[in-house]
Parts: sequence; structure tokens; C-alpha cells
Amino acid sequence: MNEPEQAGLARLRDGWISGGAVFELAPAEWKDVAAASNPDEQERRLLAIAAQALDVALRPAAPKTLKRRPQLPMLALPMLPDRLRPLLRAALKHAVDARRKALVVRLVASRGFVTHPMDWMPAASDQNAPDVYAPWLDWQASAEQERPGSADKLNADNWADFYPAARRLALAAMRCSEPAAARQLLEAKAPAESAEIRLPLVELIRIGLGPDDAPYLKSLAADRSGKIRELAGRMLAMLGEHGEAGADVPVAELAGFIEEGKAGFIRRRTTFGPAKTKSHAQEQRRAELFELCNLVDLAARFGVTESDFITGWQFGADNNADIFLSRMVAASGSDAAVAHMADTLIAAGGKAALLVLQLAPRLDTGRQRVLVRQIVKDAQFSGALSQAQGIEAGWLGWDDLSNGRFLATLRNGIAAKEDAPRRAAEDIVETIGYLVTAPAAAKFIDEVVAAGLPPASPSLGLLRLNAALTANPSQSAR
Amino acid sequence: MQLDLKTIEALAPDQASLGAAAKLTKRSNWPRLETNEQLGLLWGECQGSGSNPYRVAFDLRDHGYKCTCPSRKFPCKHILALAWIGATAPTSFADVAQTPEWVNDWLGRRRKPGQQPAQAANAEGKSIDAAAQPEESAPVEDPVAAERREAAQRKRAEDTRSSVLAALDELDQWIADQLRLGLAGFVDACSERCRRIAARLVDLKATALAGRIDELPARLMALRGEEKPDAAIRELGKLVLLAKAWRAAPDDAELKRLVSTSETREQVLANPDAIQIESDWEVLGEKIETRRDGLVSHATWLLDLKSAAPRFAVLLDFFPASAGRRSGAFAPGDRFKARLVFYPSRNPLRALVAERLGDVSPGTWPDFASGASGDPLTFYATFQDGTPWLSDCPIILPAGAIALDERDSAWWQAASDPHGIALPVAGTVDRTLLGLDLAATAALWNGARLELLASQSNMGRLDLS
Repeated sequence: MNEPEQAGLARLRDGWISGGAVFELAPAEWKDVAAASNPDEQERRLLAIAAQALDVALRPAAPKTLKRRPQLPMLALPMLPDRLRPLLRAALKHAVDARRKALVVRLVASRGFVTHPMDWMPAASDQNAPDVYAPWLDWQASAEQERPGSADKLNADNWADFYPAARRLALAAMRCSEPAAARQLLEAKAPAESAEIRLPLVELIRIGLGPDDAPYLKSLAADRSGKIRELAGRMLAMLGEHGEAGADVPVAELAGFIEEGKAGFIRRRTTFGPAKTKSHAQEQRRAELFELCNLVDLAARFGVTESDFITGWQFGADNNADIFLSRMVAASGSDAAVAHMADTLIAAGGKAALLVLQLAPRLDTGRQRVLVRQIVKDAQFSGALSQAQGIEAGWLGWDDLSNGRFLATLRNGIAAKEDAPRRAAEDIVETIGYLVTAPAAAKFIDEVVAAGLPPASPSLGLLRLNAALTANPSQSAR
Repeated sequence: MQLDLKTIEALAPDQASLGAAAKLTKRSNWPRLETNEQLGLLWGECQGSGSNPYRVAFDLRDHGYKCTCPSRKFPCKHILALAWIGATAPTSFADVAQTPEWVNDWLGRRRKPGQQPAQAANAEGKSIDAAAQPEESAPVEDPVAAERREAAQRKRAEDTRSSVLAALDELDQWIADQLRLGLAGFVDACSERCRRIAARLVDLKATALAGRIDELPARLMALRGEEKPDAAIRELGKLVLLAKAWRAAPDDAELKRLVSTSETREQVLANPDAIQIESDWEVLGEKIETRRDGLVSHATWLLDLKSAAPRFAVLLDFFPASAGRRSGAFAPGDRFKARLVFYPSRNPLRALVAERLGDVSPGTWPDFASGASGDPLTFYATFQDGTPWLSDCPIILPAGAIALDERDSAWWQAASDPHGIALPVAGTVDRTLLGLDLAATAALWNGARLELLASQSNMGRLDLS
């Protein structure tokens, strides 16, 4: 279209917008084509020509400010094969919340694959995504231009070249190999970061936590973020460092909710148990205090060590108090105290073992496996497994499932006429889908389908993915 | 698990359904018949009156069933036919271990799966034997009666043509009125104004045209305010062109289809001039729209994988929105070998699956882009030369990426010319797409927006529809 035609089209357009006859405003060539005896017909013919001109000769003008995002980085693991993507999508679709979706993704990562980004993409704020997704987390977080990036080892000079997730990964690796260097780097650079970024960085001190870290953690008592002050206090407690006495640390008040006693005829030993609360307000206050205080301070208040306090605790007397104590141990207990509590409760078995689920993120792989096997074997409370966090994927074998009453109990649940036990059974099926090996997943599907679970039940989604997902031989799990 | 004819007889809603099912029990109607004996399931694809084959599944354990046809009879004739073949010719079914995803979806959604067979409906008044009897041959028609019938047909056709002509006269006058009153006012009140003229067009038997005008407000509303006047000019101008084309050739099959009514499937299949292409096809994507007239239009876009230049086909089905959500016979990304018959057109796109010849293994698209000129809309210009009254044109875009403008609206931008060619994308896009290199993209261009269907990317095939 030439310039006069463009100008003519603009005039026609303006005329039609406001209304009325515009024939005289048309370019001369268009008028020749559109001429007719009927004025309405002339307008319609012009309209047809204008429509074609707009369609073919003009196109939307591209803005000069079009912004492209940096290319989505390729991850260190290969993408899930296309044939398995429908199974992945089905499993993700059935996973109702971010936590369950994270389990699906972790299982996939444990077999040496990552998801296709159009099937699952971590949100920028996702803290549960497997480490292999760090480049995508950074891509999500980087709304603007790509940072130059650095292939070098993280140091104070290239700190700003790393996106937060990549930096966190580099620091975590550094904490494993050179804990002191990583701590010094944090001391130098973390104060300039926002609390949101600083918190996960300070959390890395947990990796290889040792007495050398205590001065740095103590210095964080003056941090401007309350969450970081609390985190530092917890880590100090794990090191056996007592908090400062005062109004802020109400250990004395918490001790008031605990009764000390004696047990045993021949070898007298000290016991600790929850005092009976008199009101809901008291119950709430006790919960708050357990959350605020550290195990080491509470044990010291009674003049015993952390382990002695745990040994003396009367588990089973008050379920809520047991849960509060477990959470306190998980948050502030030393590694030895955590291991001691886990060993004690797993040995006791039954419902008490469920309390160890609170400690799961701090347990070593061996203890985690013992715990899961114990709960499965016990069969009575296997539904609680869905609450476990930080347990590794894809290792539970068929022998573990068939060793005890687990399968029989599950079959009863699946065959139940009432909705509640059936749903509970389906919940367990989903959790097992994350924990089992591929061959065990295949056998387990046959087992539950034979028990009456419909073969196409969405609850089998993760199991089906698991069964089809043989490990990628060329990659190790991340 | 055995199925007996008595059960089918009892399940049938009426004798007519059994009769219709009997006609569908020919193997040729079923490009796919499969079973999973362990699960007690039969399923298949039946070529019905729609352009897509219907997907039919039957559970032998509890006589549950599912069919994607829009019939309001339950079970429909396709279910009955599938069960009938299952009872009388079980060897017609290939025993497969893996149930397809659509069967799994259906099983997963069923309320009470695994229950005992429901008490079958009463078999009274229905006879499978009677349905299986070949129809009595039609009595030989009296030549006089035949002539009378043909005369009546001609009269009806003539009446329809006169009526449609009157409809187009009204449409012309309506368009002139909109120009006189101003397009600013038209854009503001297009919903009511279009509804009124559409109702008149329905009365005057220009049904297809009425449906198109009914959808015009929705197309305008999808655009920014400053784009609407141009879009209104384009839409109304195309209507003028279509009306003129019809007046010039009222018997033209394509124009009749766009103005009044479409040919039946049988008429298209029987048309010796209809183009037939046997090739490998990939399902690019689906476009499902609920129209203002209560119909759902379900378009399945296909790409010919053997053609040197991009060649497309669209399988178009309509069904009442009240029939609920229907799953199509194909999923995006599916590949199959088939013979398609195209509805006659200057730019043949709408097609029927005449014969499905098996599945095709996955892979990448042919390298169309390398031979194309720099302008990705060249194909659109050619398309408009042939059918200037149409809007949606399928195109293959060369290598590019998705970028955002200052309003966060998405644009497709050519990779080789980042400051030149860019086309706006309809709706919102998945933000992940912004980080992917698109080696080739299939989309529909309507002169103002791209509707993305699928892409080949550095991370494999992307389903974008």
C-alpha cells in the first residue's frame, strides 16, 4: 500500500468511526473501484477494500520495547522421556498441593531426570524444589536481564554474579568442603542482602555445624531480622550453648508446666512429665513456650543433660506435650539428642515412633529408613507417613511392604464400604508411590488393584510413574 | 468376561437404537477395536457423523459405558454396537495390555467403579433379532411420485435461495446503517446489534452467517480498545465480500456452507471432486469454543507431515453445550496415518477422516521454515487472495521466541530479525515459554492476533493450544 492509500485509509477509518458517508475521502483508485449508483453500496465497497487493505497490507506494529527473557537454562539432568510425560502430568494433576507436587518432582530427580518446564516449573520462592532446579529458580527470580554469571568458585568478588539459588548451592557445597571459608564469606557478604535472602543463607551453617561457628552465630543475636536471631539461637542451642537468661527466654515458665518425679524401685531415676493444664489458655501458652525455648536450656533448668531429659520424659502421658517436645528437639536439640530421641522412640515402637516423624528432616538416611520400615511394619499408623518431610524417595523394597501386616491392613481399607477408611487407604497408596523402588511399585499396583482399587484410580498415578521410571543410568540422583 | 445379546437388548433405550446399532456393527465402521481382558474393558473408535471418530468404551464388569458422541440416548447406538461386536465377534478386538489415556481418564472419573452390573433396563418391546434383520428393500417409487418429490425439493431449494438473498439484503442494509451511525457506537453496542441481525438471519435461513455474526462481539472484545475500530472494519468488510461472493455464485458449496448450511458427511464423502489426501498427520492442537447460540465448536487442527510446504486440515465438530464436556478423538501431539477428504473450498482446510490407517511414531516436523521467505505472513496473503471472507488462517512461523511488551502482552518475534517482524499473541501465555527458543511454531493468524497451537523448541514439542 502506497502513502496516499495509507493516508486515505486513515481518513476513511476516522470518518467511519464517527459515522457518515466517507466516499469522497477515499483514495482516487479506490473510488474508481467502489463507484456505484447507490451511496450505501459505495460505502460497503469501500469497506470491503479497506478490510482487505487492513488484513493484508497492514499488520500490527511491533513495539520497540519488546523484551525477551534470557533463555531457560538446561539443567544438569536430562528431561523425562516423552513417553513418561503423560504419567508425570497425571501424577502432578492428582497432587493437590505444592508439597505433594514436590514429592513427584523429587521422585523424578531421584531417578536422574528433570521435568519438562511446561509440565512443572518451580515458583521463584519454591524452597522445596530439588537442588538440580536451582538454575530455573534463578531464571524465575530474574525478571530483568541475565547476570553475567560465573563459572568460578564463589568468592567475595563474584558474589553478585550469582543468582540466589545458585549462590545457595555453591555455599552449601563450600560448607561441606571448607566450612570455615563458607562462614567467613557469609560474614562478609550476607549483611548486605535482604532478610529474605539472608535467612536461607544463614541456614546453611547447619551443614557441618561445629563449635567454630558459635562466635558467628552469637554475632547474629544483633541481626535486624527476628527470624535470623531465632535461627541463630536454635543453632547455638544445637551446639550446647545456653541462651541468655531473661524475660525473653521464658524457660522458667515452661519448666512450671513440667513435673519432675522419680521412678524405679532399685535404680531410682528422674522422670519428667507434663503437668496437667487447667485451661485452653494454659495449653496455648505451653505450646508457645515449647516453641520459644531451646532443649538445652530446658534440660539445664532441671539440672540434666539433653539426653537425660529425653530419657526421663514420660512419653504417652499427654500427646500434645509429646508433639511439642519433639518439635523442640527437632528445632534446637543437638545432633546427639535428636539421634537419642529417635533411637529411643523407634525402639519403643507403636504410636511413640510416630513422634520421630517430627525429627525426620534432621535424621540421617539410615535412621529415616529404619523409621519408615518400622511404621510400615507396624501397619497401624502408616497413614502418618504422609506427614514425613525430607525422607528420600524410591528406596522402600517389596520385602519391607510385605514384612508385617501392612498389606493386609491396606487391603481391608481398600475393600471397606465406608468412605473414610477407603480414602485413608488411597492416601497411603499415594505416599508409598513416593517411597518405593520401581519393581516394588509395579508389584504394589497389582496388589492394590487385586484388593479392589480401580486400575485407573488417580491415586495410582505416582506409583505408575514410579514403576515406569527406571533410573537414568548415566546420571546420579541429585 | 462374556457379554450376551440379552444384556445388550435390555440396555438399549429403545428398538430404534438397536436398529441403528445393528448398522454400525460392520468392522469397517471401527478403525480401532481393542480390549483388555484382564480389566474387562472394550473400547474402540467409531466413525460417526462427526468429523472426528467417536471414542467408545464399555466395562464388561458392570456394563458402564462412555461415548464421545453428542447423542442424548443412553446408551447410544455406538455403545450398543461396540457391545454387540464384543458379544458376537470378540476376536475383532485386539487384546492390549495398556489402556489408552482417555479410557483411564474415564475410569478415573466414574463415581462407583468396580460395582456389580447395574440392573439392566427392561428388555420389553425391544428385540435384537428384529434389529439384526436386514431392512426390507425400499419399495420401488412411482415415477410420478419421484418427479413430484424432486419438484418439491427444487421448490424448497429455490425458496431457501430467495430467503437467503433477502437475508443478505438485510445484512447489507444493516452494515450500511452501522457505517452511518459510526463504528464507535457499533463497538460499544455490538453485542445487542449483532444479536438482532443474527436473529433476523436465522429467520431467513442464513444460519451459518448468523452464527458468525453472533461471535463477532467476542472477537472484538478480545482486542485492545484502540484496535477495535480496525477490527470492526475488517469483520464487516469480510461480510460484505462474502455476501457479494454468494450472490455471484449461490450454488457454490463453500459459500453455501459459510452462509446457510453445510453439506452432510455423506455428501462430502460421495463428492467425486472432493480432494482426498492420504498422509501422516500430527494433531497440532484443539480450539474449543462455546458459541452464543449454545453450540460448542470443536476444531482439531492437523499438520500434514509428508507435504513439502505447510499443509493443514481442520476437523470441525459442533455439539450442544448442554451435552457437557466432550473429549476429542485425538490429543495434541498424536500422529496417525489417515486418508482425509476435504470439504470443497478455494483453500481446502475443513476435512473428514475417511479412513484411519494406523499410528505414526513421534518425531519433529518437516523443515518448512528453511525454504520460506522472510515474511511469515506470506501464506496468509495467499490465503486471503483465495478466500478474503475468512479470518483464521493456519501458518507455520519460522524460528523465533515469545517476548513481552510494556503492557506484559505477548508477541511472537522472529529470531533472525529481532527488531522487525513481530506478531501479537492472543490471550496470556505460559511464562515458561518466554525462556524457550521456538524452532518452528504452528499458529492461527486472524489478521490481528496469533493463536498458538504448537511449537518445536529446544526442549522438544510444546503443546500451546
